[in-house]
Amino acid sequence: MDESMEPAGRHPSGLEPPSRGRRRRGRWVVFAVVLVAVTLAASLFAFGLGRDPLVVRSALIGREAPSFDLPMLSGPGTVRLSELRGKVVVLNFWASWCTDCRIEHSALAAAWDRYRDQGVVLVGVAFEDTASSSRAFAQSLGMDWPIVSDAASRTALAYGVYGVPETFFIGPDGVVASRWVGPVPYAHLTDEITRLQAGPSA
Amino acid sequence: MRARAGALVIAVALIGAAAAIAVAAARGPSPPGTLEGRVRGIASTLRCPVCQDLSVADSPSALATQMRASIAQQLQAGRTPDEIRAGFVAAYGQWILLSPPRRGLTLVAWLIPFGLALAGLLLAVGAIRRWNRGSATSSAKPVSLAPEDRRLLDRALLAAQEDVE
Repeated sequence: MDESMEPAGRHPSGLEPPSRGRRRRGRWVVFAVVLVAVTLAASLFAFGLGRDPLVVRSALIGREAPSFDLPMLSGPGTVRLSELRGKVVVLNFWASWCTDCRIEHSALAAAWDRYRDQGVVLVGVAFEDTASSSRAFAQSLGMDWPIVSDAASRTALAYGVYGVPETFFIGPDGVVASRWVGPVPYAHLTDEITRLQAGPSA
Repeated sequence: MRARAGALVIAVALIGAAAAIAVAAARGPSPPGTLEGRVRGIASTLRCPVCQDLSVADSPSALATQMRASIAQQLQAGRTPDEIRAGFVAAYGQWILLSPPRRGLTLVAWLIPFGLALAGLLLAVGAIRRWNRGSATSSAKPVSLAPEDRRLLDRALLAAQEDVE
């Protein structure tokens, strides 16, 4: 930068001319600070724009799945997670009032048909629903995998569910491998199940 | 000099007020002794999972109602508010907390406002100093003037001098 001062000739007013070099440098510093701040803010906003605020990475991934022992929606008995050790567990939270759950039904049904004899258990958990409407929904769609009811949403809260449908993939080691938010596609179900059947969650 | 002292007093008063508000906000409402009040105290720090913009204390949703019931149960079982919050964080992640924890990366979010306030204060002090320097009319100090203004000023001063003579 040009640091040379103007020749400081004495003005009749007795006032010194301004030191242009210093003024210019100060302006550059302000410009640089503003530029850095604006760039930081813009990149933060751009990063946020590309993300769906509804999809939050589950805090449970890589941890032991919260245990549950939930009563069957229809008929006697319970489903206890600890008894499913050694199997791949697909835990699907759904509700009769949820339209996306209706959409994902065919994918779940196809996966259940394909894997039910291969050490894979699909468990449907009715979320925020009355027993009668859950039962009617399950019957009308023909859900033939175990469906349990979750009193006071205790299990949903333990899994950090914030909407339905949500699907958790639990490996044979009892560790949560991944979570899918929204209607789960058939291809994702097969990918995750094959991955978990192949070995411990990586 | 008097203007400067006044500005300083105002600045100190403003900072004091801001600090008082920050301390009050950080403490939150003092938890009353009742179970309901204690539940509310914890629920107001948690985000309602299904409505996102409301706290668990303010949300009328069924899930928030069940979370409040769960908090009440855990309080009765003798768990501390921090333990209860940690339980929800284990399931939902830090997303569930309405205010970020004051450590690690999220500490930045707490420090930025104070940093900005400090930067603003420094700027204000700098500006006040510059004004004072300008009004002190010490001939030794440079004053920034546009060339046309300077020319006008010079001419006026010369005219005044000639008048006197």
